[in-house]
Amino acid sequence: MEATDHDDARAVLREPTERVSRRAILMWTIEALVVAAVLLAGQVVWWLVDAAPGRTAHWVVGSVWLVSAAAYVSVMPRWRYRVHRWESTPRAVYTQTGWLWQERRIAPLSRVQTVDLERGPVAQLLGLASVTVTTASAAGPVRVHGLDLPVAGALVQALTAATASETDDAT
Amino acid sequence: MTEPSDVPEAPEPAEPWRRLDGRMLLIHPLETLVRFLPALLAIFVARLGSQGDDRWELIALPLILAFGVLRWATTRYRIGDGQIELRRGLLNKQTTTARLDKVRAVDLTARLHHRVLGLTRVEISTAGSTHDHLVLDSLRIDAARILRAELLHRAESVDPSVTGLPAPTGEPVPEGEVPQDAVAASHPVEEELVRLDPAWVRYAPLTVTGLAGAAAVVAFVSQVLSRYSEERTVFRDGASWVAGLAWWVDVLFVLAVVSFLAVAGYVLTFWGFRLTRNRLGTLHSRRGLLTSRETSIDASRIRGIRLDEPLGLRLAGARRLKVVTTGLAHEQGGGGGGSDWLCPPAPASVVTPLATRIRPDEAAVSGRLTPHGPAARRRRLSRAAVPAVALSVALVVARTVWDWHPAVLTLVPLLIVAAVALGLDRYRALGHAVTPEHLVTRHGSLDRQRVVLDRPGIIGWTVQQSPFQRRAGVATLVATTAAGAQHYDIVDVPVERAYAVLAEVSPELAREFR
Repeated sequence: MEATDHDDARAVLREPTERVSRRAILMWTIEALVVAAVLLAGQVVWWLVDAAPGRTAHWVVGSVWLVSAAAYVSVMPRWRYRVHRWESTPRAVYTQTGWLWQERRIAPLSRVQTVDLERGPVAQLLGLASVTVTTASAAGPVRVHGLDLPVAGALVQALTAATASETDDAT
Repeated sequence: MTEPSDVPEAPEPAEPWRRLDGRMLLIHPLETLVRFLPALLAIFVARLGSQGDDRWELIALPLILAFGVLRWATTRYRIGDGQIELRRGLLNKQTTTARLDKVRAVDLTARLHHRVLGLTRVEISTAGSTHDHLVLDSLRIDAARILRAELLHRAESVDPSVTGLPAPTGEPVPEGEVPQDAVAASHPVEEELVRLDPAWVRYAPLTVTGLAGAAAVVAFVSQVLSRYSEERTVFRDGASWVAGLAWWVDVLFVLAVVSFLAVAGYVLTFWGFRLTRNRLGTLHSRRGLLTSRETSIDASRIRGIRLDEPLGLRLAGARRLKVVTTGLAHEQGGGGGGSDWLCPPAPASVVTPLATRIRPDEAAVSGRLTPHGPAARRRRLSRAAVPAVALSVALVVARTVWDWHPAVLTLVPLLIVAAVALGLDRYRALGHAVTPEHLVTRHGSLDRQRVVLDRPGIIGWTVQQSPFQRRAGVATLVATTAAGAQHYDIVDVPVERAYAVLAEVSPELAREFR
């Protein structure tokens, strides 16, 4: 599907070289399941609280979200994995993210202000981490999700070393 | 005026602490009083009905005064060791420090009561991802101006490597250049760029801000009136008299009131507007009838300009000018604080040359822009048409199912025509250009703006594609910046063109990932 999506884009800028960890699929699946579980909890509460005799509305609402949640859980993580790519050179970081809505971000290292490594609960469980690179613009943080922890650590180290020498205030 | 003590060897700067002006003791109780006026009134009204005679205000007044004294006694500031420090609080001591080279802009705001006492409130905006503001309320006006000069001109006259001037990237330092001697720096020559012509108030009713201001006043007044309207026959009589008139008289009446209020708002905000530039390139604006406001923006903080042509102004051949700069108050909201004005709504024949003087790049300020092509036009049209069609369908359904008045159906063709006109106009607005020094983008119909962004001010790129954009082969190219709205978008350009612009502005990045 992406093969056609990015054909014309490739003419000018290639995709970033690195893929994220395959376990990212699992991470996104678990996160999607958590969302589904919250919806399910809401549904159960509604079932218990609702005093009306008919249960048709419950079945309709429940089956609608169940179908869409199933589609989301099965499609989104794989699609996202195929889109997500990143690359870091001595000059810049370059990412490609999203699934339905996709975007590519480039930030020159000379303008990088902070580099953060984050690990959510699911990511910790799977030995993954995400790296956030912020510039002086509130609009331009570059994020890479679902990196293997050692890879993320190395990336942070490389980025920090490259940006530490900058004395400019990077605005 | 100040000796450059920026060498970071001094362990403790011997700079003395300075205090706010003593007259702020009068300001603070006054402001508190005004703020609590509704509460006081409520207490007063409540007491009218009751028998008790607790004298609340007699306790409140000394308390308010005591707070003022406390604030004056505990607030101090000093400049030294390359930073400005502000200390506040008695129990919960708070020290705010900002490096002088991070100071982006200095605002002096004097409301009416400040002006009577010869005082002004100083707001110092600094760089940083969080909104750091140092507020000194209040200083004497001349002390405030000296402070401003210290803050802004000092940062310019010291070593550029310390001030973080973006020299390595080739930031175009306009005209001024860094001065040879510090003496000249402290007495810069000012050149006047624009001064308000009172005839420009005719544009006031044509802007949304003017109308919104008028609407706010109307809403406020009607709310106040509605409290009393039941008892007062005057209002009721007035209302029924207005309701009894022909509808077009009512419309004229409303237009007249709204225009009057918008003009009043314009006069209040922009009276005496004056924009000057000193030899260092610092832009300095002054405005306001009752509340006077002075804003100074360091040249090295400016990343571009924004020409606004909202529909009303455009039809009247007018526009307004704002500055795109780092570290202004309310920058996320695109200048809600209003300190980014370079020119109030004024004829294009004034604004365009002014823009060219600030950014001497004819092609960027007024040159032709590259249109975005048929896919962009289709998208503008469909995005305008879809809500209009949905609304039309809803109206038809309302007519047939709930038996609404047949007149609603006349709205349908109007809606469709308006939507198509809007879509076409939005497409006409779309355009971009790359000049040797600037990236230009324009979009919007009702609120059209043309942004001229300095190329070195761009600190990153994003290429976004929604599923619909991918199918249409277009993308939105976003240039991120530390200034103004933080990002400026080139909407719905063909994908290849998006990358071509990126490559033209940042060739070193494009080469990296080609």
